[in-house]
Amino acid sequence: MEKVIMGNHAVSYGVQLARAQVIAAYPITPQTQIVEMLSEFCADGRLDAKFIKVESEHSVMAAVVGASMAGARAFTATSSHGLGLMHEVLHWAAGGRLPIVMANVNRTMGPGWNVWTEQTDSLAQRDTGWMQFYCETNQEALDTVIQGFKIAETVLLPVMIVLDAFVLSHTMEPVDIPDQATVDSFLPPYDPKFTLDPSDPHAFYGLVTPEHYMELRHKMHQAMQKAVEVTRQVGAEFGEVFGRPYDVVEKYRIDGAEIVLVTSGSITSTARVVVDEWRADGQKVGLLKMRMFRPFPFEAAREALAGARKVAVVDRNISQGHGGIFAAEIRSALYGASHQPVLFPFIIGLGGRDVTPHSIGSILNYAQEHDVPAEESIWMEVKE
Amino acid sequence: MSHQIVFKTEADMPLLPMSLGSTLYNKTGSWRYVRPIYRNKTSPCNQVCPAGEDIVAYLGMVAEGEYEQARQRILEENPFPGVCGRVCPHPCESECNRAQLGGAIAIHAMERFLADLPMERTLPALEPTAPANAKVAVIGSGPAGLSCAYQMARRGYKVTVFEALPVVGGMMRVGIPSYRLPRKVLDAEIASIVALGVEIRTSMRFGNDLGFEDLHDYQAIFLAIGQHRSRKLNIPGEGAQGVLPGLEFLRQVNLGQKAHVGSTVAVIGGGNTAVDASRAALRLGASKVVVLYRRSRHEMPAVADEIEEAEQEGVRLEFLTAPVEVLTNNDRVTGLRCVRMRLGAPDESGRRRPEVIPGSEYTIDVDTVIPALGQEADLSFLDERIQTEGGLILITETGATSHQAIFAGGDAATGFGTVAHAIGSGKRAALAIDKYLRGQALNGFPSLTAHVRAAPRDVDPTVVRFEDINLAYFMEEPRTPQPQRPATERIRDFSEVNLGFAEGDALREAERCFSCGTCNQCDTCWLYCPDVCILRRDGDGYEVNYDYCKGCGICAQECPRVAIAMEEELKWRK
Repeated sequence: MEKVIMGNHAVSYGVQLARAQVIAAYPITPQTQIVEMLSEFCADGRLDAKFIKVESEHSVMAAVVGASMAGARAFTATSSHGLGLMHEVLHWAAGGRLPIVMANVNRTMGPGWNVWTEQTDSLAQRDTGWMQFYCETNQEALDTVIQGFKIAETVLLPVMIVLDAFVLSHTMEPVDIPDQATVDSFLPPYDPKFTLDPSDPHAFYGLVTPEHYMELRHKMHQAMQKAVEVTRQVGAEFGEVFGRPYDVVEKYRIDGAEIVLVTSGSITSTARVVVDEWRADGQKVGLLKMRMFRPFPFEAAREALAGARKVAVVDRNISQGHGGIFAAEIRSALYGASHQPVLFPFIIGLGGRDVTPHSIGSILNYAQEHDVPAEESIWMEVKE
Repeated sequence: MSHQIVFKTEADMPLLPMSLGSTLYNKTGSWRYVRPIYRNKTSPCNQVCPAGEDIVAYLGMVAEGEYEQARQRILEENPFPGVCGRVCPHPCESECNRAQLGGAIAIHAMERFLADLPMERTLPALEPTAPANAKVAVIGSGPAGLSCAYQMARRGYKVTVFEALPVVGGMMRVGIPSYRLPRKVLDAEIASIVALGVEIRTSMRFGNDLGFEDLHDYQAIFLAIGQHRSRKLNIPGEGAQGVLPGLEFLRQVNLGQKAHVGSTVAVIGGGNTAVDASRAALRLGASKVVVLYRRSRHEMPAVADEIEEAEQEGVRLEFLTAPVEVLTNNDRVTGLRCVRMRLGAPDESGRRRPEVIPGSEYTIDVDTVIPALGQEADLSFLDERIQTEGGLILITETGATSHQAIFAGGDAATGFGTVAHAIGSGKRAALAIDKYLRGQALNGFPSLTAHVRAAPRDVDPTVVRFEDINLAYFMEEPRTPQPQRPATERIRDFSEVNLGFAEGDALREAERCFSCGTCNQCDTCWLYCPDVCILRRDGDGYEVNYDYCKGCGICAQECPRVAIAMEEELKWRK
């Protein structure tokens, strides 16, 4: 059934179709509508789940960790400072190998109190052991929730689904809402490998000495590596069942492109329009959309950029003292590759400043006009 | 015991830090130095109920919608819920912890609600304990006598009740006006006692129509003759026409005999008889009724609700005044000469003693005077075998008199003066007589001011107070008032003033109850225990798994009603 809905509600429908069993949440703009709608689903019986309202995001994550340990399919949503407050417990979720799914609506970190979109909040959690997926559209947000549970429950790591504040969260788009029976066939009930069970009690999360800690982290690393392939398989299967295939990255008009834009999130849609215009003008430009950020799909990135002369990475985020985070990852993926394109790292749109087709055009112009970047990071559209 | 595991390969290891084996070997209960004790405590309502009702339990049953079960629980202790639900001064409500958070639970109206349930009453069964052919005589068919007869009959005794008056019920019938207690309610409750096989013989005045020598067939006798004689004013003019002693006046009114009052009535006294007489006088057509009391409102022994209702109806109260002479003309009352009083030092009753203010005499014009200064028992029929003290039959805490086969209770022995106290004392005597006739020692009875239960429970005697209640679980909710007929309407007749609770009222009140000290299986402890050590006993409360309980105390801290308390290890055994 097609409906015109906000990105937030697309996530809510995805969670409903995935038959989440426990939802814990604390409200924060701009994600609140996700759990608000889910609370209504729980209240009126459209979703048979326990909705737990707690007093902070730290407790939110603790509650979903508990629920997931007890064997429930658990979901939460947050944003920005809420995610920051969860930071410690994100490690417990990942280290506990719990297949929790969380939606994070990208919102700028304060101060400079700001509710608009920027990716620094989620990217700052890149080392917690959570998988991360960045969504371009409301449809992708819904689809990724359903796939996210399947991926998480296969590799036993938690999944963060990221969507842009307002550009997706509060913007209505036509979204196809699949029927429950088809989703049920695609995503069977969660069959936990380990559960908290008072009748068979075990000690969880106890002391682990240097003798064993490293192996536990190595197992997580192996699970992350496996997750790339699992995501591809799940995305392909999703395509067979629902007619919308997904991969870890998406190449757009990349064949023969001399300059390739690298984007994530909703900026991708803007970039598609600009690429089409430049191609119509005979310019050899293409686009690589990074859907998966953790684990980082090194092979897919290298393969996609193998023919490019220049790579322009668009980062709506900033690792202070370093630069754009996607740029750093792409650069490290390309190091040692047989073909070495010139990488142009752009910082743009921080604090939710609009990134327009004109902005993307400026980026392409810069890359076209320079042989090498003039600075370590190229800050676009900064007031003089 | 625990031992360190060293994994040889990564593949041997679990995915996450968890023990491979069960943790049940680790009996963490050994870490504990205080332990939770799950045991019901005593609620203040239960503690003070003169009839010994298990109030907190039946309120819980009402909250569950188990009305019939709740009524049965009352009937275990008291065959007169319909009477008590109307006339009891309800000390339970005075002590109710809810009073401090929205108002006391309307226990009184709840009892009436249960008594009036439109379903046939079946009395709760008991295993008969009576020896073969055991017969008991009860003297007096008031609440004490009938309560004793009821409890004896339930235990299989053959009981005969001898009543001096031609009617059954004692003060319930001749003392209490029908606007407080409709006769059909009283008749029905007496009928259910008679239905147990109790024989009641009326117009048999002990001392005139029969004596101890006529009761040789009975192995035990219970004296419950009440206090039916009005105290005298002892002032000039008391014998004039128009002076109607309170109890005699009420008896005439209640038996439907002709009772005449003039247009201006002075009632003397501050007890329930005074208030009843004043309201009855209004209903008989008096245009002005004044109650004269020698102390202040604070010292009035009458039930506060009744005083308030009397004032609503137009009765005027005048405090700190006492009559010194009934003024007459041709032997008819024309007025009262009174003196003003003031309160001096406390007397032996703890109340401040009224003193005459010299030179304060004044007169009022009245044509009827109703003295209601209290009542006393007529003990003239007793011989030296039965000791008395201060106008009361002397009894021990078992209700036993100085004669081993003769027991006594009710107002003639205790002087407490309420139906509920009389019911409690009749029950106490029944339990004692049962022991006596089975040859058992008469021990284990609490003092006369404490209350006995026919169906005792295993309850910690510690009384739960308001500060013990976990207020995080309760909102301030207002008490539900009982509907009444408007004052202007109700003084026109003797129909009932109070109209009783609807089901919704009863449920709302039952749900407000804190259930002080009595577990109502709210699951709070079960939910909060971090060690899964509170176990549900399928519909019968909880038990603590002491093998693993670390004694953290969260269950006791969270319990809304003190059904769990922490005690130091080993001390709990005492």
